[in-house]
Amino acid sequence: MFTLALPALLLLLAVFISAGMGAVKLSPGDVLRALLHPSAAGDTGVILFSLRLPRVLAAGLVGAALSATGVLFQGLFRNPLADPFVLGASGGAALGGAVAVFFLPSLTFAGVGATELLAFAGSLVAMAIVWKLARAGGHFAMENMLLAGFAIGTMLNAATSALELRQEATNPGTRILEAWLHGEITVPSWTQLSWVAVVEVAVLLLALPLARQLNTLALSEEYAAQLGVHVDRLRVLVVVLGSLLTALAVSLGGLIGFVGLLVPHFLRLILGPDHFRLLPASALCGALFLVVADTIARTAFAPSEIPVGMLTAFLGAPAFLYLLNHRPRSASL
Amino acid sequence: MAAILEFRSVGFTFGARTVFRELSFCVQPGETVALMGPNGSGKTTLLKLAAALLRPAAGEVLVQGRELKQWPRRELSCCVALVPQHLDVPFAFRVEEIVAQGRVPHLGFFGGLRGDDLDAVESAMESVDILGMRHRIFAELSGGERQRVKIAIALAQQPQLMLLDEPTQHLDLGRQIEVMALLRRLVERGITIVAAMHDLALVREHCSSGILLMPDSPALIGPVHDLLRADLLQRAYRVERPGLDRYLASEPARRR
Repeated sequence: MFTLALPALLLLLAVFISAGMGAVKLSPGDVLRALLHPSAAGDTGVILFSLRLPRVLAAGLVGAALSATGVLFQGLFRNPLADPFVLGASGGAALGGAVAVFFLPSLTFAGVGATELLAFAGSLVAMAIVWKLARAGGHFAMENMLLAGFAIGTMLNAATSALELRQEATNPGTRILEAWLHGEITVPSWTQLSWVAVVEVAVLLLALPLARQLNTLALSEEYAAQLGVHVDRLRVLVVVLGSLLTALAVSLGGLIGFVGLLVPHFLRLILGPDHFRLLPASALCGALFLVVADTIARTAFAPSEIPVGMLTAFLGAPAFLYLLNHRPRSASL
Repeated sequence: MAAILEFRSVGFTFGARTVFRELSFCVQPGETVALMGPNGSGKTTLLKLAAALLRPAAGEVLVQGRELKQWPRRELSCCVALVPQHLDVPFAFRVEEIVAQGRVPHLGFFGGLRGDDLDAVESAMESVDILGMRHRIFAELSGGERQRVKIAIALAQQPQLMLLDEPTQHLDLGRQIEVMALLRRLVERGITIVAAMHDLALVREHCSSGILLMPDSPALIGPVHDLLRADLLQRAYRVERPGLDRYLASEPARRR
């Protein structure tokens, strides 16, 4: 329980501090007062409620979604290098979302925008393709998985860029897409934020029983089948839930890489490899990590901002190379 | 008493290659059956068929007189345990966490270990003498240690039938003897054993009956001393007679 309470506490603290940081500095006391009496907060309230808090909370949701997806995909592929960005799922979501932004901007289904739905479809299709390619010959080769993810991801990014260029001057979607490609968290509406939060928490709860089965899957697919795990069903559920989380993350922050690799890896060193413990801890620590990272990204080079995706790439890519070099003897299956 | 494992006219093909045709045999409770035959003759396939990881193309496989199709998967996993040749774990799981996976078929929906599960894990580790390495990381163990952990997973399943795929492969002489002695203790506890074996000396010493898979003709089934005959082995393994005779002649010397 301590492993969850500590990051939760730190996350709360980080949200408070981060909400106070920016061009107009607010003390944690100011933030607390504004939260307790929103109507009397005046300008502070405007800054806090329409700019800072939505963005800080978005960063938290994105970080939690990406880290949890990392744990799920790493368990599924039995490989610590699997990450939604590395595998191309983020790219697929970005392409799906881009199609919606440009061609179906006003389309919604039951209050859910076409953007999120197509982002989900995009990441699902990308994962299905990577899965098929990586499994050629009936078992995984790690090289295949990484190369398939790289190729799909590159292609999807190129297609997304092409859409961006084609519509350059005429479409307000261009700005959104630019932010996505750089991995920049934009300020979401409270409506968007709240339903992303609801869906994300629901998906994480659904994923929790699967995390136990991923421990069995670590032995091998055949072993898991022998021990009574429905391997095919597990696989489909993990891909669907992981793609959903990826789509949520991309809809808020675009292509933010390596979070799903850094956070679970770091936690594995502390908590061990049990997916059931890793999943909730990764969600909390991922949220914490990205809240801090995004705060640095928007304040360190003030008055200009850098996309948080650039920051995670600078931290994550070396970690990726380290893991590639120090993979366990048995990582190639 | 019903046979614990029975193959009835089982046929199996891999693409265009026929592995078995009309294979029939029975294993009675308490037996130690050696599964012999050259590489590629289908030993692993037979074990997977018995564990319901593969389905026969023809005929039927029965466990305790009940056809495998009629067994719920988890119930079967509590009765039949397969110890595969290889186990590689990509993450730094500890030995006790790995052994606990054997309890998975016994667990409820939420999958937490209860008291009797922990007891089963504990006694499984004790049976194969790995309590001392319970906190070690599985991926860092030696071949003999891994073999014992794999058997412990199977024991945690609390099976009546244990299927082992070449349990002595890649082990040094001491570890081979250790594993066979362990299997003998399991038989004394009432577990039936079917093991794919290459070392005929170990087969002669430890197994009651055998299944000898032949490359081109029907498999031979019978007591071990009837199967370990030079003419049969010559046909099964396709070896020259002088070499085979020298091997068989040296065997008793290796045993003593």
